[in-house]
Amino acid sequence: MNYVTRKTLPRRSFLRAAGATVALPLLDAMTPALRLYGATKSPDRTRLVCIEEVHGVAGCNEWGASRHLFAPAQVGRDFELAADNVLKPLEPWREHLTIVSNTDVRMAEPFAAPEIGGDHFRSSAVFLTQSHPRQTQGSDIHCGVSLDQLHAQRFGDKTVLPSLQLCIESNDKGGGCDYNYSCSYTDCISWSSPNTPLPMIRNPRAAFDMLFGAGGTPQQRAQRRRTQRSILDWVASEVQEMKKHLGAVDRRRVDHYLENVREIERRIQRVEDRNTSGEPRELPDAPPGVPDSFSDHMKLMFDLQILAFQADMTRVISFKTGRDASNRTFPESGSDRAFHPASHHGGKKKGILEFNKICQFRVGQLAYFLRRLEETSDGDSSLLDQALIIWGSPMGDANLHNHRRCPLVLVGGASGRLPGGRHLRAEEGTPMANVFLTLLHEMGHDDLRSFGDSTGEFSL
Amino acid sequence: MTMPETTSVVEAGGDATSWRRGLRRVGWRLPARSLPIALSLLNLSLSVSASPLGSGRTEIPLASSHAPAPRSTAHSEVVREYCVWCHNDTMLTGGMSLQSFDVSHPESKAPLAEKMVRKLRAGLMPPKGAFQPEPEQLLGLVEWLEESLDASAVRDPGSRPFQRLNRAEYARLIDEILGLKVDPSEWLPSDQISAGFDNIADVQTMSATLMEAYLTAAGEIARRAIGQEDAPAQARTYTNPPSVSQHEWERVEGAPYGTRGGISVLHTFPADGEYTVSMGFMSGWGERFHDVDVSIDGQRVALLRYGGDIDFQGRKDFPIETEPIFIRAGQRRVSAAFVRQMDGPYEDLIRPNDWSLTGTETSYGTTSPPHMLSLTLEGPYNPVGVSPSATRQRVFTCRPTSADEEVPCARSIVKGLATVAYRRDVEEEEVLDLMDFYRAGAAESGFEAGIRTALEAILSSPHFLFRMEREPQGIQPGQVYPLAGLELASRLSFFLWGSRPDEELLQAAGSGKLNDPAVLEAEARRMLKDPRSESLATRFGSLWLRLQDLERVSPDAFWFPNYSRQLMEAMRRETEIFFDNLVREDRSLLELYGADYTFLNERLARHYGIDGVAGEEFRRIDYPNQQRRGILGHGSILVQTSLGNRTSPVLRGKWVMEVLLGTPPPPPPPGIPDLEETEATQDGEVLTTRRRLELHRKNPSCSSCHNLIDPIGLALDNFSVTGKWRIRENGVALDTRGTFYDGTDIESPADLSRVLLKRPIPLVRQFTENLMAYALGRRVTHLDQPVIRGITKEAAANGYRMSSFILGVVKSEAFGMKRASEPTEDAVSEERSR
Repeated sequence: MNYVTRKTLPRRSFLRAAGATVALPLLDAMTPALRLYGATKSPDRTRLVCIEEVHGVAGCNEWGASRHLFAPAQVGRDFELAADNVLKPLEPWREHLTIVSNTDVRMAEPFAAPEIGGDHFRSSAVFLTQSHPRQTQGSDIHCGVSLDQLHAQRFGDKTVLPSLQLCIESNDKGGGCDYNYSCSYTDCISWSSPNTPLPMIRNPRAAFDMLFGAGGTPQQRAQRRRTQRSILDWVASEVQEMKKHLGAVDRRRVDHYLENVREIERRIQRVEDRNTSGEPRELPDAPPGVPDSFSDHMKLMFDLQILAFQADMTRVISFKTGRDASNRTFPESGSDRAFHPASHHGGKKKGILEFNKICQFRVGQLAYFLRRLEETSDGDSSLLDQALIIWGSPMGDANLHNHRRCPLVLVGGASGRLPGGRHLRAEEGTPMANVFLTLLHEMGHDDLRSFGDSTGEFSL
Repeated sequence: MTMPETTSVVEAGGDATSWRRGLRRVGWRLPARSLPIALSLLNLSLSVSASPLGSGRTEIPLASSHAPAPRSTAHSEVVREYCVWCHNDTMLTGGMSLQSFDVSHPESKAPLAEKMVRKLRAGLMPPKGAFQPEPEQLLGLVEWLEESLDASAVRDPGSRPFQRLNRAEYARLIDEILGLKVDPSEWLPSDQISAGFDNIADVQTMSATLMEAYLTAAGEIARRAIGQEDAPAQARTYTNPPSVSQHEWERVEGAPYGTRGGISVLHTFPADGEYTVSMGFMSGWGERFHDVDVSIDGQRVALLRYGGDIDFQGRKDFPIETEPIFIRAGQRRVSAAFVRQMDGPYEDLIRPNDWSLTGTETSYGTTSPPHMLSLTLEGPYNPVGVSPSATRQRVFTCRPTSADEEVPCARSIVKGLATVAYRRDVEEEEVLDLMDFYRAGAAESGFEAGIRTALEAILSSPHFLFRMEREPQGIQPGQVYPLAGLELASRLSFFLWGSRPDEELLQAAGSGKLNDPAVLEAEARRMLKDPRSESLATRFGSLWLRLQDLERVSPDAFWFPNYSRQLMEAMRRETEIFFDNLVREDRSLLELYGADYTFLNERLARHYGIDGVAGEEFRRIDYPNQQRRGILGHGSILVQTSLGNRTSPVLRGKWVMEVLLGTPPPPPPPGIPDLEETEATQDGEVLTTRRRLELHRKNPSCSSCHNLIDPIGLALDNFSVTGKWRIRENGVALDTRGTFYDGTDIESPADLSRVLLKRPIPLVRQFTENLMAYALGRRVTHLDQPVIRGITKEAAANGYRMSSFILGVVKSEAFGMKRASEPTEDAVSEERSR
C-alpha cells in the first residue's frame, strides 16, 4: 500500500489537467522509479513520432506562401520565422527543426473520376504510406504499409509494444465516410499491411492501461498478466475448434484474431522478461477520460508519449491530431471559425490569415511536447536529441484539396543523424516519399529500395 | 452551336463528381432546342435554372389509376427523349450514360436501373427546367423498371463475416450478466461507422489493440463485479464539461433534489473501506461561498463549504476534499452538488436568466456561479472486507459452507454465468475448461478469487465477444442456406433488443421452431412489446438520424447562452422517445415526418416556447401551432445541422436529402470559399444567412445544386442554431421562401413536411434500407432493392405501421438465410504467398 503515503503525487497534476488549468507534466515525480528501465541500454534508441495534421496549413496556399506563413523565405540555416509563421511557436527549438518545404503527396490525389473530391476521406491513409488507397467501403480496403509500421516491424521487438497509435478526434460522425471510402482511410494513419489499418486510441486512460497494464500494484499487475496468459492459451485452442464450423472469410478473420492473440502473448512475455530487472515501483494514477479542451487533450497525449519513451515501452508512436472535415472550433486560437469551413478560405487574404490562426494554434501545441522532451534526459542526452518527430500533412492547400507543396517538418536530433536548424526547399515535384525513404535509410532500413511513390533520396 | 472544346481526361464516374466532367467534353453538338438545358447542365448533374423552353414541372402520381400494359418501347422513347439529352456517352452527366441502356431489359444493368428508380421516385429527374414527359409516362417508366427488376431479382440473401460486440452491445450484455453499468469507452476503441451504423461486420477489423482492450475490460469488470478486498488505494477522477449548466434551476441527473449542478456518477467501490471525495472547481464571478452536498446513493455523507477569496478571472480553482468516509463495496451513485440557494423566478441583469457557464473561457460577458469541474474518488484506505452488493448477490447464487461444497457451488455459478454470456447452453466440457480458471484463482486467493478468474475468462472468450455463425458441413461457396435456430435468435435479439436472446427465444431456437415463419413472427411481435425494444430507438433510430452529431456542435455561448449539455440531452431524448413511441404504439412511420405532437419536458418545452409543461418527465405534447412538424421540429436535428455561430440551410437541406430521402446531393467541389468569406454586411446592412447564401452562390456552378439543397434548409430557417423559433436574424426579418426541387413553393417547416409527405415512397424505402443494414450488419446493395420494395409495398397496405417494416425485415430471406462466403481475391493471394 505504498500509494497511501504519496498523496501529493501526480494525481494532482491529472486533476489539474482535467480542469481548466494547464496540465502539468505527470512524469517528474516518477522519473527515479522508471529510470530502472534505462539499465538495459541498446546503442540506438531513436524515438520515432509521426504526427499528422489534416488540413494542410494556410502557408501552402499561393498567397500564404508569398507571406511565408509556412516555408520561410530563406533556405538553409539563416531562415527567419515571421510572427505569423505557423512554426513561430517552435522558434525556441529552431536548432532542432528541419523544415522541408515543397514536397508533394500525389498518392492522395484522385486517380479516377469517382475519386475526385473525396480527398478528405482518403488523405490520412496516404500520409505515412505514400500509397494510393483503393476506393471501397468493404473489407477489400487496400493502401500501403506505413513508415512507422515498417520501422516497428523491424526494430519494435526491443520494446513491449512495437508501436502505439494515438488520436484526438472521435470518429463516430453520423453516416460514416463519404465518396465510398471506408472510414479506415479517414481514421487510421498506421497500416501494418496494405489491408490492416491499426485503430488509434483516443482515450488517454485506455492508452495508459495499454502501456502499463491495469492493476494498482506491481504484484497485482503481475497477477493479471498471469491470468491473461492462461486465458490467451485457452482462447487460442477454443478458436481452433470453432474454426472447423466456419466459412472461408470467417476462418480468415479467426486467423487474424489468433495472430493478435499471439502478439499479446509476446507482449506479456516481454514485460515479464524485463521485470526480472525490476518493475517500476510507482506509476502515476491513470488519467481520467477524454478532456474537453483540445489543448488539454494534446498535452495529456504528449505526456503519455514521454512516459512511454521514458519507460521504454515503445519507440514508435503515430499521432493523429485531427479528423478531416471536422467542424471543431478552437477559440483559444483567436478565431471562432470552424476548422473545415475555415480551411476553405477561398484563397482570399482575410480568410487565409484567419485559417492561419487556427493552424498556428494547432502546430503550437508541439511546443509543449518539445519542451518536455528537452527537459527529459535519457542517458547522456535529452529525449529531444534522440527523437525523430515527423510532423506533416498529406494536404497542401486544403482550400483546393490539393496535395502539392505540403507542409513537412522534422524535429529532433534523431540520435545525431539530423543536424537541424535548417530550411530545405525541395525541387518542384519532389515526392514527400523521397524524404521518408531517406529517413528510413537513416534509421537502419538500408535495403529498402523505394517507399510509396519515391523517386530517389532526399538529401537531409 | 458548338460547346467549348476541351480535352477529355476522365472516362467514367459516379454522381459526386460528374458535374465537373462536363467541362472536359470534346466538341459536343447540340440541337438548338436543347441549348438552354445543355448550357445549364454542362457542369451540373442537376440543373434547376429556369428555362424559357422548359415545359414546367410535372408530378409523378403516387400510383397509376389504370395500370397500362408495360410497353418497353414506349419507355425506351421516354428515356431517349428525356434522359439521354444529358445522360449520354459524351456528357456523362451524373456519371451515368443511358445511351446504350436497354430499357426492355433493365435487369441487365441493375445497378444503373436502381439509380434511375431512386432519382425518379424522389422526383428529382428530369430536373426542373428540362423538358418533362407526361406524369403518366414517368410513372409508367419507373413502374416498368421496378417490375422488371423485381421479376428478375436474384435471390441472394448476401454474405458477411461474423460480428463482434461493439461498445453499445458490450455495455448491454455486461448489464444483463452482472447487473453492472459500465462505460466501454474506458477500454474499447471506438466502433467504425459504415453506412451510418456501428455494427457493420466487414469493417469490424481485428487488431491487437482491440484484443488487448477486451482483455483489460474483462479483468477490470470481473474485479468490479466481485469486489477486491486487497484493492490498493487508487484515485479515479470524473470530469464535467463546461457546457454542463450548473445554474440554480439545473439539477444534474442523479443528484439529489434541492441541489444545483455538480457531478453525479456511478462508481464501483472495490471494497468496504474509507474513501475521500475531492472536487475541483472553476470559480464564478463575484460569488461568495456555496455549500456542497456529497451523497452516496442519495444519502448525504458530507457537507462542505466552497468559497472565499474568489479570483475575478474566474480561473483559480480551490479543490476541496472530504474527510475519509466509510463506504461499502459495490456500484453506487456518488453525487457532489451545490445546495440550491434560490428558488422561483428571478431577474438579474448581471446574470440574466438562463445563462449558464458555457464558454466562459472564450466569451466575455457570461457570468456564472461556481462550476464543479472534477470529482475524484480515492481509496480504499483501511479496507475491512467486501459487503454484499446487487452484483455480488446476482453472481453468488450459492455460498459454500464447507470446503467440500466449494467446487460444486463454483461449477453452478460458472455454468450460470457462461450460459448468459455465451447466449446459449454451455457444454460440460466448456464448464470443465472454465473450472480450471476457477481452480487457479482459488488456489491463489480462495473461492471468490476463483469465481473472479473464471468470470474474467468468460468475458475474454470468443464465445462471448463474437457472434459466430456456423456454416453447415458440405456447403459450397456461393450456396445459400438457412441460419440455424440459435443464430437466427441471436440476429433477432441483437436487432430488436441490441442484446442477447431471452430464455423463451432460446427455447424456440433450440427446439427448431424458430425457423417456422409463424413462430418467428410471433417471437418478433412478443419482443417488440418488451421494454428492451427501446434499443430500436436508442440504437437504430439514433444512429440513422445521426443524433451523436449533436455533440459535435457547440453553439457559441455568447449568442446562445441558454444552451447547455442538459438541454442537448433533452433534445436527444425527445427524438428517442418519439421514435420509441412509434414502435410501441405501432404507429405510422409517416408521423416521423409530419406528426403534430412530440415529447417534451419542462426545460425543452420552455426552450421551444411551449407553455404548460412542468417537471423533468417527458410527456406527449400536441404542438400548439404550425411551427413544428415531426422530427423536422426536433432540436436534435436542428442543432446537429447548425454551425456554432449561425444556422446552415445548406447542412439542413443536405441532411434531409441524405438521411430522409436517400438522395444525397453531390458534395461541393474544392476551391469554393466558405460562406464566411461572403461579407456579413452590405451597404451598412447586416445580412441574413439567406442573403449571404444568395450572394455566395452567384456562381452558376454552385447554384445548380444549392437550388436543390437551400430551399429545404431555408424552410427550416425559422429555427435558430439551438432550435428556437425566430422571425428575425441579425435584426433583419427572415425570408424563408423558396422553391422545392419539384416546383412547389415552400417557406415553413410545415410546408416542407407536406411536400415530403406528398411522395412517401422515397421516404419509406430509405427508412427500410437503413433498417435492413442495421438488422443485417452489412451495407445494402442494389441486389436488396427488390426486397426493400416488397417490404414497403406490404407496409403501405398496412398503413406504414412500424411493425410492418420491422417484421418485413425479420421475415426476409436476407435476415434468415446466408450465402456461403467465398474467399476474397486478397485472401487468396495472401494465402498463396504463405
